[in-house]
Amino acid sequence: MDWKQIANEPWVWISGGVTAAMGLYMAWFFLRTALRFMHGQGFTPKQTSAMIRGAAITAIGPVLANIFVMIALAIAISPAFAWQREGVGVGSVFTELAQASNAAIAAGEKFGDPSFTIKGFAAVVFIMNIAGWGWSVEAIFTRYLGTIREKVTGGDQALLAVIAGAGMVAIFSYYSISNAVKGSPYLITVLVAVFLSMFLFKLADWIKAPHLKEWALGIAMFIAMFVGKLIAG
Amino acid sequence: MSDVNEIKVDPQAFEQDYLKPIHHVGTIFSIGIFLALFLPSIFLYIFHGVFPDWQTIAGGFALAMTYAVPFYISEPIAYYPILGNAGWYLTGTVGNGSNLRVPCAAVAEEVAGVTEGTREGELVATIGVATSALISIPAILIGALLINFIQQFFPPWLLDAFNKFLLPAVFGAVWGEFILRGWKYLPVAVLLAYIPMALHVPSAWNIVICVLGSMVAGWAMLRYFKIKA
Repeated sequence: MDWKQIANEPWVWISGGVTAAMGLYMAWFFLRTALRFMHGQGFTPKQTSAMIRGAAITAIGPVLANIFVMIALAIAISPAFAWQREGVGVGSVFTELAQASNAAIAAGEKFGDPSFTIKGFAAVVFIMNIAGWGWSVEAIFTRYLGTIREKVTGGDQALLAVIAGAGMVAIFSYYSISNAVKGSPYLITVLVAVFLSMFLFKLADWIKAPHLKEWALGIAMFIAMFVGKLIAG
Repeated sequence: MSDVNEIKVDPQAFEQDYLKPIHHVGTIFSIGIFLALFLPSIFLYIFHGVFPDWQTIAGGFALAMTYAVPFYISEPIAYYPILGNAGWYLTGTVGNGSNLRVPCAAVAEEVAGVTEGTREGELVATIGVATSALISIPAILIGALLINFIQQFFPPWLLDAFNKFLLPAVFGAVWGEFILRGWKYLPVAVLLAYIPMALHVPSAWNIVICVLGSMVAGWAMLRYFKIKA
């Protein structure tokens, strides 16, 4: 039997479904718990609705991009396997395909080659899934991350804010610059996104329109993406 | 929504009524998702009798870890302070931290006007991250089921725009937001991002250097010059 047919069998869909169902339940439970607690502490439903709306608008672009990434994976492997991988958070199709190639090499085969067999596919399935084991293990021990943070900062709220602020500026500086250096269209995409996002957040304050903040990231990322594509041709 | 700034949640109630159930459910389901990663291989063995040999697993695992390990170090250090506990449970298990969960948490915090790293910030981040997961997972299922239809519906240039330019656009937009909130750290962060890049330091270690270096710089600015976030 061809490995591509096997890769689209119901059990692959079910495997993805199990992970997704657990992720969905967790998200629903966390959202419900946070909302109940916040409303009990004085946050109004109007305020929490605005937070949900802002997150939902921001999610549109990245979710669409994930679906398009999945198309590439579905063509290379199968729709079912793409779903199973996306359920546990595929970020980059390049990384996924690199992992698939590495697994095939370890099995003594070449991924994508006509000679690729079910044995190679078994290696790909195992390795691609356990490649992300570290994040799941870190999630299991989340409660200790808080303890470590408290020990490192001594519970100092000012230092906690510094660590969060500096860390976020740093990691997105890296991600933005590493994309910008790929060429002019990428550089312009990053610059348009940075300045447009800053402008929209500031504009929301200047014209006293807090609702604009819900849309700021979504607008900035879509306009920057299309500008980049127009320049690249 | 300026009055959100005046809300200070009760620390004891936060521990008891919020964190306790979050840790309880988060730990159980993180273990469940960790175990579910092995399901495809188990099913493949049950239905087709094929399982990779241990030598293949060890070789493939070693190759995979050379890429992943630096991210195992840098991501919890960078993301946990802004995502908080619930946000990290979700990001660690359903993924998409930099491109989806962090932007959604950040925009929710910006809309609310709360400071990241505080209890209020953690609650708001939970809303952002959980909302993103409740949207992304069903959307991806629909996408997988309708993959042929989607390919016809979206022209190649649009797919190309998303594949090549959405990620730099997301990163740039989120960067802009964080620059507004933490511009004091920008010069150090840019230098620590760019210099290792120019020296061809592997990208994953570049992130570790950039994140940890910027945090140490932030600590030094607070300690010696009283510069707050």
